[in-house]
Amino acid sequence: MSATHEPITGRYVHVPYGGYEYRVFYEEAGEGIPLVCLHTAGTDSREYRHQLCDPDINGDFRVIALDLPRHGKSIPPVGFEREEYRLTAKFYSEFVMAFCEALELEKPVIMGSSMGGNICLHLALNFEERVRALIAIEACDHSPGWYISWLEHPHVHGGEACATSIFGLMAPQSPEDYRWETWWYYSQGGPGIFRGDLHFYSVDHDFRELNDKITGNVPIYFMTGVYDFACTPEMTEKTAEKVKGSECIIMEEIGHFPMCENPETFKKYLMPVLDKVKATERETARA
Amino acid sequence: MAQFDSQWMNAWQDDVNEDSTLPMIGRYFTTDFLLGFGDKEYRVSVREGRIERITDNLSIETPWTFALRAPVESWERFTQKVPPPMYNDIWAMAHPLHGRLQMDGNVKIMWQNIRALTWMLARMREVPDHAVVEERATRV
Repeated sequence: MSATHEPITGRYVHVPYGGYEYRVFYEEAGEGIPLVCLHTAGTDSREYRHQLCDPDINGDFRVIALDLPRHGKSIPPVGFEREEYRLTAKFYSEFVMAFCEALELEKPVIMGSSMGGNICLHLALNFEERVRALIAIEACDHSPGWYISWLEHPHVHGGEACATSIFGLMAPQSPEDYRWETWWYYSQGGPGIFRGDLHFYSVDHDFRELNDKITGNVPIYFMTGVYDFACTPEMTEKTAEKVKGSECIIMEEIGHFPMCENPETFKKYLMPVLDKVKATERETARA
Repeated sequence: MAQFDSQWMNAWQDDVNEDSTLPMIGRYFTTDFLLGFGDKEYRVSVREGRIERITDNLSIETPWTFALRAPVESWERFTQKVPPPMYNDIWAMAHPLHGRLQMDGNVKIMWQNIRALTWMLARMREVPDHAVVEERATRV
């Protein structure tokens, strides 16, 4: 009997950004086109464990999922105890690119969900020459209503409250074990980190006046589940209508966490997108 | 469709009190909260995760901590076996984008007990059909 190992390798990389060297944890599997996966607010790269392990995906892509600083195994910067954490579009987008640079990734595909989807809009606007394609899951130009104090209030159990606040974002059709696994990830965020991320998600990210500034040179695939009450299909569709070079895919029987709440259903929608990325790659190689 | 009458509330109370998870996750959940189904309102008295009593005929002298009030149509969708999008969760219904449920009062107590509360409300989806509920005596 040999042990069952997954193909995932976890490593730490030092990412210089803003005069500080961040120690960042990431997991990766596979070879091919770099596919960088961004987790949702208040949690970490474990959300992508199914895609990392899927031979249909990691056969053609080098799948990489990182923990942002303060999330998962990526420790906060020195002095964090004296600061109020508030994620901004500037830090988030620039840090993702700094991570890609540290790993010397050549024009990666970037796929993110929720806040990781919203940041794709900023990446399209400011870094189009450095990315190959963007897969913006559960994303739209403005997602208000989540910057609420109870998610970090010391009289409230942060783990239970943060995790339960997102439970209803998942579809009842998604397998119960995967929904509770996602709840578990959320129960483990550091104090105030979920809310700090939601500062970007619901406050700093207001892209409504910027949609039409995206050139369309980089393909953007919007993918939203019908049970997402934070970013509804309608909100995504309205954004996609204004963003050049985008495609909008609405996913049935799934919610705000497609990659981890129901990886099988998500795969049905994701594979055609990845096939398009590969087709574009082949065309580029021929040219 | 659920009637949200006394029999139905009693059936829900039975389901909650027979649940094996609530004694664990609701150990510290002790409060009196208000549930409003349209014009019909009940006070739910919870002690350590069990529903001790459900009271109707409320007056201004009936104390409660927090209230969840929604139109009957919202609760009808919420209590379906497979609830439709935007109605599968109280925070989904109450979120400022949707406004299909109103959270009032001392909502800090609600957030302190949100895990046990949502588990308790999810048991509404297990309330037997109306014919079975009709046969029960009313305790409310």
